Amino acid sequence: MDLYAQNILDRYKNPFYKDKKLDAVINHKEANRSCGDKVELSLKIEGDKVTGYAFSGNGCAVSMASADMLGDLIEGMTKEEILKLTKEEIYAMLGIEISIRRSKCALLGLLALQNALLSEPRSWSDYHI
Amino acid sequence: MDYKKDFPIFKQRPELVYLDNAATSQKPQAVLDSEKNYYERLNSNVHRGAHFLAEEATIAYEGTRQAVADFIGAGKTNEIVFTRNATEGINLVARSYGDEFLNEGDEVLLSKMEHHSNIVPWLQLKERKGIVVKYLDIDDDGQFVFDGSQITSKTKFVSLTGMSNILGSIPNLKPIIEAAHEKGAKVLIDACQLAVHSPIDVQELDVDFLVLSAHKIYGPTGVGVLYGKEELLKQMPPFMGGGEMIQEVFEDHFSPAEIPHKFEAGTPNIAGVVVMKAAIDYISKIGFDQIQKEEHELTEYALEKLKSLPYLSLVGPKTSKNRGSVISFTIKGVHPHDIAEGLSQSNICIRSGQHCGQILMDYCDLSATARISLAFYNTKSDVDKTVKALEEIYQYFN
Repeated sequence: MDLYAQNILDRYKNPFYKDKKLDAVINHKEANRSCGDKVELSLKIEGDKVTGYAFSGNGCAVSMASADMLGDLIEGMTKEEILKLTKEEIYAMLGIEISIRRSKCALLGLLALQNALLSEPRSWSDYHI
Repeated sequence: MDYKKDFPIFKQRPELVYLDNAATSQKPQAVLDSEKNYYERLNSNVHRGAHFLAEEATIAYEGTRQAVADFIGAGKTNEIVFTRNATEGINLVARSYGDEFLNEGDEVLLSKMEHHSNIVPWLQLKERKGIVVKYLDIDDDGQFVFDGSQITSKTKFVSLTGMSNILGSIPNLKPIIEAAHEKGAKVLIDACQLAVHSPIDVQELDVDFLVLSAHKIYGPTGVGVLYGKEELLKQMPPFMGGGEMIQEVFEDHFSPAEIPHKFEAGTPNIAGVVVMKAAIDYISKIGFDQIQKEEHELTEYALEKLKSLPYLSLVGPKTSKNRGSVISFTIKGVHPHDIAEGLSQSNICIRSGQHCGQILMDYCDLSATARISLAFYNTKSDVDKTVKALEEIYQYFN
């Protein structure tokens, strides 16, 4: 059985940002109710930059690894840059092929992150999935 | 017996292990032939047109109504309404019966193991009419917790599943139906899961309404059945308006057609309805005795095999008593979605997630489960392959 690429399995089993204590200013939760995945983000904001990232949650390997890898991806990014992140950039970050049936798993973290910064929340259809 | 040979998909995909029958069943050759035959020889609109082809199509369409009535023990064909799916049947009852006969403060009793399709239409009725929605608890065997006190003079409607799509349990409905009728409440049974595993007799059960779905009983998608007692269907206003459901139309009013056509607005899924008869005939040919024998044996075998995995937890009844061939489970340290993905990579189709049963999931404090659902055409080899793959998936994550 070689279910996922090693990087996904590694980040799922040994996440860096999961359940990390953070003196956060924004907390935001998103769930994919069809499969039961949940991601709750904590963000620290300084000026226009996100300077701290942590999450907690429960979900499949792809959703949890993606939420964890997102922490590396957005390091040093401004809020504006984060809001411009696309589905394709997340798929590239994961480095594996994402089938339609796994697209919400891959993007749950991004949805939570972008909605944490937005007053008008995005939905799945905004990612054209 | 090799029943898979009746199902062409297993010839096209010899490696396929299909254990997602609760979502939809595969279709036997007889059903595929019937679909082809309909479009090649009978295609015409029904109940209109004076030509011979319309008449033949109508006879075939109404022939399925008779077959469905026989299949569920209904006394009259006008008690059988064709819908798009079972969900539409429940919505029809909640809209038509609910809006007409239920009032603010009236109680509708559901259970915590209902599919969303038997919850949301009642919550919508709650929004429209201010009814109160109550839920029966579920015990460890997947049975309703019922001692009579849950049905009171306030209870006007009871809508329950005949078999859980998550736990696989087949609840004892008879005492609840009797208690409901004693208080004058009407009862709807969602037989979506039950209908493919067990014979149903609506008169013996004395249900007021019952819904089922053709695609879960080896038939085509896009056809549902609503059974309703004649006197109730007659009292109920039409659900949707359009052609077919009317008797007369004037500029400022209309009069509806007789039942069941009153509830069949617009051109129906004629092919789907006609083809559904082939599915019912196929089930009759195999026979429920045989289907139940095969499924019971498979379920016992699967339960024993799954129980032998120490890291696997069954969700729902642990034995094959009072249950159908639907088995939910979780595996320590592996999310159900990853279980399904791992099995999928081994050509095994199962379902993972909340199975449109968020209330039960919350009640059981589960975020998701993996679910295998067996049909009589599945084999012990299918179960063996699945258990072997589950072991590999567990090893991969641990």
